[in-house]
Parts: sequence; C-alpha cells; structure tokens
Amino acid sequence: METRLEIRDLSKNFGKKQALNRVSLQIEQGMFGLLGPNGAGKTTLMKVITTLTKKSSGEVTLCGIPVEQCAKVRKIIGYLPQEFSMYGNMKAYEALDYLAVLSGMSKKERALKVPEMLEKVNLGDQHKTKVKAMSGGMKRRLGIAQAIIHDPKVIVVDEPTAGLDPEERVRFRNLLCEIAKDRIVILSTHIVGDIEATCENIAVLNQGEILFRGKVSQLLEAVKGKVYMTQVSAMELPVIQEKFLVTGILTSGSSASIKIISEEPPMKDAKPTGPDVEDAYMYLMHQAGGPRA
Amino acid sequence: MFGTLFIKECKQILKSMVYYIYAAVFVIFLSSQLSGDLTDRMERPLPDQENYGQTSSHEPSAVMEKILANLMLETNRNSYATYPMGFYKEVTLNQRELDEVIQILEDCSGKSWEELTEDMEAHFHKYDQSSMEGAMAAQTGYSVPARESLSYEEFNRNMEKICGIVGAGSSYRKEAIQSGVSVPMTYEQAVEEYEALCEKDRVTGAVSRLFCDYAGIILSVLPIFLGVTRCLRDKRAQASQVVYAHEASAFCIIASRYLANVCMAALPVLVTSFVMQTPYQYHANTMEVSPDPLAFLKYNLVWLLPEIMIVLAVSFFFTELTESVISIFIQVFWAMASLMGAGTLAGDFAFKLVVRWNALGGTNEFLAQRQQLFINRGFYFLLSLAVLALTAVFYEKKRREGETLYGKIFKRRK
Repeated sequence: METRLEIRDLSKNFGKKQALNRVSLQIEQGMFGLLGPNGAGKTTLMKVITTLTKKSSGEVTLCGIPVEQCAKVRKIIGYLPQEFSMYGNMKAYEALDYLAVLSGMSKKERALKVPEMLEKVNLGDQHKTKVKAMSGGMKRRLGIAQAIIHDPKVIVVDEPTAGLDPEERVRFRNLLCEIAKDRIVILSTHIVGDIEATCENIAVLNQGEILFRGKVSQLLEAVKGKVYMTQVSAMELPVIQEKFLVTGILTSGSSASIKIISEEPPMKDAKPTGPDVEDAYMYLMHQAGGPRA
Repeated sequence: MFGTLFIKECKQILKSMVYYIYAAVFVIFLSSQLSGDLTDRMERPLPDQENYGQTSSHEPSAVMEKILANLMLETNRNSYATYPMGFYKEVTLNQRELDEVIQILEDCSGKSWEELTEDMEAHFHKYDQSSMEGAMAAQTGYSVPARESLSYEEFNRNMEKICGIVGAGSSYRKEAIQSGVSVPMTYEQAVEEYEALCEKDRVTGAVSRLFCDYAGIILSVLPIFLGVTRCLRDKRAQASQVVYAHEASAFCIIASRYLANVCMAALPVLVTSFVMQTPYQYHANTMEVSPDPLAFLKYNLVWLLPEIMIVLAVSFFFTELTESVISIFIQVFWAMASLMGAGTLAGDFAFKLVVRWNALGGTNEFLAQRQQLFINRGFYFLLSLAVLALTAVFYEKKRREGETLYGKIFKRRK
C-alpha cells in the first residue's frame, strides 16, 4: 500500500459559507506543512481527512482508500486535534491504554506499545500523572503518543504548538520530524516558525483556497530580491507601514530597523537581504489581498 | 475490543463520585422505605382475628359499591381527584354539573341525595375520626350499595358519563374500575393468601416483590445521572474529537459504555436486594418454608433491569443528541407521570414505566397479572435496545458531521 494522500477538487460548505473551495493536494511520505491564517479552512481540511467532517464534493483518498470508507481510514490515521485532552482522572498510562483499545490494539500489543510510546514522548516517568495535572506540553505529547501508537500511515496534527513555551515547542517539532520518517505527517499551523523548522513540502491555504503548494525553497524563491532592510525614524513608521509591506520592526530609541518587502528598493539607503519563510508567507498573503502587517 | 472497553468503562464508573452518590441515594431511599420488620405480616391467620387486612376484588357488586362510595364522598365535598397527564388536579363542579352527578348517583344507588347523605353521616358517626385508625376504618368500611336492578354494564355507562363531567384521569375511568377495588379480607381468603405466600412465593418472593416496588420508584430517575455524566464526559474533557477519530465503531463505543452503566447501576440494587432478603430467608426457615434464595435475582432481572436499561437508554439518546442535561428533565417528567398516573398501588401494569406492587403478598393476584408484567418489562427491554441502536446511529452521524441537534438549532436561532 503506497503511503500517499490525494485530495482532488475538495470543497466543503457550511450552509452558505464555503470553507474549502476546490482544494487539490498530493502529499507523499514525510512532513507536510499546511500553513494559513486563522479561519483559512485548515481545521476543516484536517477534519475531512480524519473522517470527522463530510466533504461537500471532490475526492480524498488515503493510501488508496476513499475517505468515505471511514472504518478503513480510521485504521490508518492518527489524529491530534487542536484541543487535545482526555478524562482528567485518568493517569497518562490509562489514557493512552484506553485510546489504544479504541484503535483496536490487543492486550499484548498494548502492554508492549504503551510504555514504549510514553518513553518516546518523554512521559515515561510521568505515566502515573493524571491528565488533569498535566501541563499543556505534556498533554500534547500524550496526544502525539495516542496518534502514533497504532502505527498509522498518516498522522494529522492540528496547531500542535499553540500555547507551548519555546522549549516545549522545539521538543515537539523534533518529535514530529522523528515520527515522520516512515509515514505522512501533516502539520497544520498558522505559526510560520513551526513549518520553517520542520517541513520541506508545504501548502498555504487562505479563505478555503490553496494559494501555494510546493517546496519551501520555491516559496522563498518567489520573494527573493524583494526583501530590504533599512533604518528609519520611529516617527516615520506609521507612514511606512501604510505604504509598504513591513515584516519586521526592531526599535532602538528614536530609530527603528525595519524589514520591508517590495518589488523595487523602497528607499535609497535600503539594502537587499535574504528572505525567510515568514517573509515569503507574508508576501504571498499580501499578494492574495491580505493586510500589510 | 468490546470486552476491554466494557471493563475499562466499569473501572471508570467506579472512580466516579456520581456513582457513589447514586449508590448512596438508592440505599438510603430503600432503607427508609423497607426498614421495618415485615415478619409480623407473615403470620398464619387465626380464625377469630378482628381484621385480616385488605384484598382486591373485581366482583361487580363489590366494585360498584366501593366506586359509588368514593363518588358519594367526592360529590359531598364537591372535590374530585383527577390525574390528567399523570399529575394531580382537583376538580370542582358548577351547580349544573353537580346536579348531573347527583342524578347519576341517585340512579345508581336507587336512593335520593338526602338519603345518601344521611346514610353517609350515620356511617362516619360510628367511628372515632380523631384518630388515624378510626378515620381509616371509617373510610374503608364505607360503601354505597348499588340498586338491585343496576347491571354492571349500565353502571359502567354511568361512570363514563361521570368521566365526561369530571374530566380525564378520575377514579371513574374504565381502567381504574377494571383494576378492582380494595375490600376487607375474610379468614378463608387470609389463609389462602398465607399459603400462597409460603408455597408459591416461598416468602422471599413476596419480599423481593415489595423491594422491587420501592426500588422501581427511585430507579425511574436515578440512573439518568449516570448516563448523562458518561455522555457529557467526552465533551467536558474535550476528548470527543480524539475518540471519534479512532477505529472503534460507534456501536462498540456506545454499547460498551451503556452496558457498563447498566451493570454498574444494577450492582448496588442487587447487593441491597440480597442484603434485605437475607433475614427473611432465615425467617422462612423458622416458618418451615423452604425459601427461594434466588428470588431477589429473578425479580431484579425481570422487574428492575429493564427499567434501568430504558432509563439509561433514554439518557444516552437525549444526551448524545443534544449534548445537554435535557434528558434529566425528560426522565423526571416521565417518571412523575408514570407514578402519578397509577390507578392502583398493586397491579394494572399496562405499559407503565414504574410498575407497582405495594403489598407484601397478594401472591395469587400477582400471579394472575404476571403475564402483563412480563409483557411490560419485555417491551421496555426491547425498547431500550432500539433506543440504544438509535443512539449509536446518531453518534456515528455526529462523528461524521461534527454537529449535534442542539448545535443545529442554536445556529439557526443565531
């Protein structure tokens, strides 16, 4: 069975509101980043893939299985929803064991895999900690453990690092990269840094439509030579922000060092600089009619 | 998967505070109702006893005189107790309606209103009504004989007219009349009852029946809290999405949760029933009766288990449907309607949720109605399975469409 997710002309309507509009994607093994602002349709897309929402039209197949075959699809997916939690009075081990049962794992398999997964997500020492006593980061790690325990072909993680401290965020990203070695991991987020650090292949979704799909390098290519750094007076900032797409401001006293994306050099003393993914993303969103900053 | 989930659900219930409150309320309620010693009501009757208690009669003349006595008392007060929709409502008639009722009473008894009133006052005058016993004796001893030429069919037609005047849910409706009337027992009847208690009920059967009568009242509501707690648990813990995305089928998830709740809800009932039966098991031996040690189990399985099942099924269905506590209100209303609508405290099972047999004994009469009880409980057993299946269907729909009925209504209101 080939590890591949195919989405063709997928649309999803909620009444008159169109959450997804003819979305098409092919996702191969490895990490895949789905980037977009809040309300772009990322969670809806994730829910269609994980059988939690019915599509209005189009086709979605996971490893050759149409998403309509819920029971078969659920066997090969692992899902970490945006708001993951479990019953507060369950201990980490119990919660993972319970969810492993729901994944159809036998007693023998669970006895082997539950401790292994807890170790993998660095919760081995915390297996007796109750879910209600866990920090946000610990819950997310437990969440990823339940998503991978049954060895799924496709793992969908929705906004996994929101609310985590920097250390937890880095640890979580590394964990995702580690588990993506032999399966598809779709990381849906509005945090550009997460994508930059983990994904080579990405798609940018905005207002239910795919704005970009390809490699991070291709996204960067689009903004290459259009990013400038310059020093301006703090007083000038509002006018500059009105006129240009400003992606970074570092104020120091009465002056500010700013990063501008512009087709032409914005000022005489502006110097070209190398773009990062955030610049490329902002440029793309700006092209699509998004705000300047 | 089902068995493991079932065991895990049972363990979770055992960790729930709501479960212990459930068990405590059940035990306290039953203890408060059945704390007295019932053995004095299990003694062989003696020929010269003053009173042998009451028995139910369906004999037309007995039915007519008791129903007419009740009609006389209510008409004299111009206050009629009715239970439309199962809830008590006092009805007061206007003069024209009252005259119509008096006319029917006179026609049925063959006596004038004045004569009827005089007879009634003379009867009640004989008793000391300042004491509870006196008032009770006056009430139970009072009767208004029907005129000799009155046929039972004509009497029933007249009572239909009374129903038309007084309104729905009165004591004169067909079902109430058919359920019979309470009359004093004779020595022979008392001996027959005693022998049936010993031979057919083997003592423990009668005790279990009385236990089921009281337990049935509280169990018409109490399990709903277990069901609501379980169904709202996923939402409260923000675990719905993660559970939905797993391989387990909707039926497996719902049925394992349901079965665990049914078993755990039945556990304190069985234990309490067994504990309450045990002394009477020993008492049966002193009566030289071989008790039925499994009577508590048989009665619980047939009488109370279907009730627990349907109450939990209703709670699962409405809670999954609305993700709210609305099923508590629905169930309380249903239980109250069933209780208040009971025409009698022993028998007349029909399709009532709460079936009553508030008597120790009445064995022969119970056995005569037992088939009706089986049909009633069988109906609720099957209904609960149907509701459970419907819940699983809805759960799967919710799992796929991510929305509750409540969510849809709420969205439209906005």
